[in-house]
Amino acid sequence: MEERTNEKIKRIDEDQNTSDDMDTQKGKYMTFKSGNEYFGLEIQYIIEIIQLQAITAIPETEDYIKGLINLRGKVIPVVDVRLRFKQEPFEYDDRTCIIVISMKSMLIGLIVEKIAEVVEIREENILPPPIIGRDKGHNKYVYGIGKVGDSVKLLLDPDKLLNDEDLSVVEQANEMNNEEE
Amino acid sequence: MAEGFNTDDMLDIYLFENGQLLEQLQEIVLEQKDAECFDEDSINEIFRTMHTIKGSSGIMMFDEITAVAHKLEDVFYFLRESHPDNVPHLELVEHVLSVEDFISGEMEKIRNGEPLDGDPAQLLEDLDRFLKRIKDGEVEKGSELPPENAHVEPKQFYIAPVSNKDSRFYKIYITFYPETEMSNVHAYKTVYALKEIAEDILYSPEDIISDPETSETILKEGFRILLQAQCDEAAIRELIGVGYDISKVDVYECKAEEFLQGFDFGEDQPLKVIDLESSVEDIEARKQTEEEGKEQEPKEAKPAKPAKPAIAPGDFVIQSKEPGKQKKLAKDKPKGEKASFISVDVRKMDQLMELIGELVISESVVLQNPDLKVPGLNLDNFTKAAVQLSKISTDLQNVIMSMRMVPLTNTFQKMNRIVFDVSRKLGKDIEFVMVGDSTEVDKNIIEHISDPLMHIVRNSVDHGIETKEERAESGKSAKGCITLSAKTEAGKVWISVTDDGKGLDREKIIAKARKQGILDENKPDSAYTDKEVYQFITLPGFSTNEQVTEYSGRGVGMDVVVQNLQAIGGALEIESTPGFGSTMSLKIPLTLAIIDGIVMEIGNSSFVMETGAIKEFVRVKEDMLIHEPSGEEYIMIRGDCFPVLRLGKWYGLQEYQESVEKGVMLIIEVDERKLCILVDRLVGEQEIVVKPIPSYIKRVKGLSGCTQLGDGSIALILDAAGLIEI
Repeated sequence: MEERTNEKIKRIDEDQNTSDDMDTQKGKYMTFKSGNEYFGLEIQYIIEIIQLQAITAIPETEDYIKGLINLRGKVIPVVDVRLRFKQEPFEYDDRTCIIVISMKSMLIGLIVEKIAEVVEIREENILPPPIIGRDKGHNKYVYGIGKVGDSVKLLLDPDKLLNDEDLSVVEQANEMNNEEE
Repeated sequence: MAEGFNTDDMLDIYLFENGQLLEQLQEIVLEQKDAECFDEDSINEIFRTMHTIKGSSGIMMFDEITAVAHKLEDVFYFLRESHPDNVPHLELVEHVLSVEDFISGEMEKIRNGEPLDGDPAQLLEDLDRFLKRIKDGEVEKGSELPPENAHVEPKQFYIAPVSNKDSRFYKIYITFYPETEMSNVHAYKTVYALKEIAEDILYSPEDIISDPETSETILKEGFRILLQAQCDEAAIRELIGVGYDISKVDVYECKAEEFLQGFDFGEDQPLKVIDLESSVEDIEARKQTEEEGKEQEPKEAKPAKPAKPAIAPGDFVIQSKEPGKQKKLAKDKPKGEKASFISVDVRKMDQLMELIGELVISESVVLQNPDLKVPGLNLDNFTKAAVQLSKISTDLQNVIMSMRMVPLTNTFQKMNRIVFDVSRKLGKDIEFVMVGDSTEVDKNIIEHISDPLMHIVRNSVDHGIETKEERAESGKSAKGCITLSAKTEAGKVWISVTDDGKGLDREKIIAKARKQGILDENKPDSAYTDKEVYQFITLPGFSTNEQVTEYSGRGVGMDVVVQNLQAIGGALEIESTPGFGSTMSLKIPLTLAIIDGIVMEIGNSSFVMETGAIKEFVRVKEDMLIHEPSGEEYIMIRGDCFPVLRLGKWYGLQEYQESVEKGVMLIIEVDERKLCILVDRLVGEQEIVVKPIPSYIKRVKGLSGCTQLGDGSIALILDAAGLIEI
């Protein structure tokens, strides 16, 4: 009796397995230009690419969080990748795009200067990033360097890119709020 | 149980339907708890409900639920059949409610995937004893006892040697209500029930278990069963039971040869169909063959009255009406009305709302398109069409909003139940009055207020209302009164629980607060207002009740109440008159999703604030400002002094209006605290759909969410309470 009920519950859980798309998307990277470098994001994170649109700024947030955009009724935050990399800000123009990615069921937009292309990078062509003492801060978002022909793409870990330190800030804020309540 | 059954879907349906049935059951019972006894309709209804629950729990193999439902069904079967007039009504009400509690408890466990460990033994024993008592009472009075509920014990006296001489063959034709969902499951439920008595059973469509497609066939063509069994038609009808799902049951007896032929009835043997259209000759002819076919069958019983003696042929026509009559009865019930409702996944509603939101935005994009601004265009027809379009989209918006609104009736009924339970256990006599229970509130909110309300009602019964002796001493009527009322006012819903008990004891609360070190040592007791004092009882761990009872006194409760209310932007207000009772009012927003807001601009950012929080807009002069050396500003308006918050400066926005004379001051008020906010300009009032700020962005003080404006841009929603805290 009990077992049977538990079994049922279990089966419900199992039904929500992940899709088969993983295989076909593996090894493909969306590359974009920021500053002088090309960066790559694994394609499985990417939902869509949209043109730059009106952004509503939010007070009291980090400078790289540009604000909120309205994506067909969904409100999603947008992050300026260049500011996130602590590079010089750039003027937005009509080549500026927003890459909408999905991280842990959260949608986030990345503002990038220019979309390049989708490339396939085999695993053997991906090197771990060299660790350079003074540049540690930048390297933590880059988990690998992909070689495509003569050029290299810096492969980004979106989780670290967005969440690494921010998340801890958010979590702290939440914890504080919980305590207050 | 059959293999390949889609049990998850079935479980969902099972939980959903039985949940609704139990709710209705409780409603009926509480409605009549103060009556002398249940009226006939209610008895039938409760009987049917239990029957359905028993059936479906049987399929799902929840044996304990089945057993309990079955026992209560027995009780109501007896009530229905012999109309005893010495039933202790309150006791019966309690029995029904405890059965309902047991089943809901078990269903909750099923829902959470917990093991079903409820032990119904005590419950069953109580019911048994109760049933025996009312039965004995009847026997003494010399009335005839009806036979046991037909399928409790499969009829012993029919049991014959293996030779199937006594077996009889039936063709059964079941029609379901067209709105029945998953009718294949319902059909299987019937088959399952019949298996108890069946020697052989065949049904069509055959693959009802594995193929959900068959449900359509069943709805369209009905469900057919060939049954070989040793019982009479009445018993079969009893087993199938006309309930909320089955609209009509036709049972025809047939010969073994016909039985072997399989499913060809309906087409080539229409004469066999006994219904009101058939001629009397047909019916009589059939009756003849029936009586020839069985010697032991003493009576042609109709389902409701199996004990009825033999019937003259002419009566038969009336009897065959019986299922129809039952059906009509069922439709007279509220259940009949409920059939016109469909239940929709809230997520789908949310999706619909989002889509309509987008529609409204695209509409304004089209109607205010810059291309239309070309001078010299004749737009007369366009404008007419545009007006029509806006009208429809506004209506559409209103409809979706109203769809999310649910009356408080159910929640109030639950409280009725609590008052009933607690007051009886505490030996208090309490009248429960409900006012305005049809007030509608957003569905999300209802889910949040049920628990707080329960705590408050329980507290009122336990602490508020005095014992009978105390009431007599203070010259009050022995019967206490608790009023639960709801009203809408100024965009808020007020739900108040008023009791005519002893009220809150200010001295006691203060003493306790002193003891716990909540009060300022240097402040005298009199410096605290009543309101402040009463608010102490909402602090965690604060209970003035010396004795911890089963229901309250542990000091948890009121703080949970306040927490839950705050989570939905509500508040608790306490009023009390010593000796005359107290009133606890929950002030909650009408809806979480949509608020009336004032749209305003600061620099190039748009903000929205809930209209209800804004007291007034004022244009001020520079000389009304008072500057403190520390940089803080105050403003004198009509003799009152308010703190000033320059929002643009505070949030570090760009290009905001520096001069107060060019901007607009908003006076906002929350809980009697006021604040002036300086904004650049007002845009207008608008209904806005509240959306949370994505969790990626850390919480910003004074912002409670965001919304989409007509042009598709996003405005931030200012939270008045948060701003005042700054």
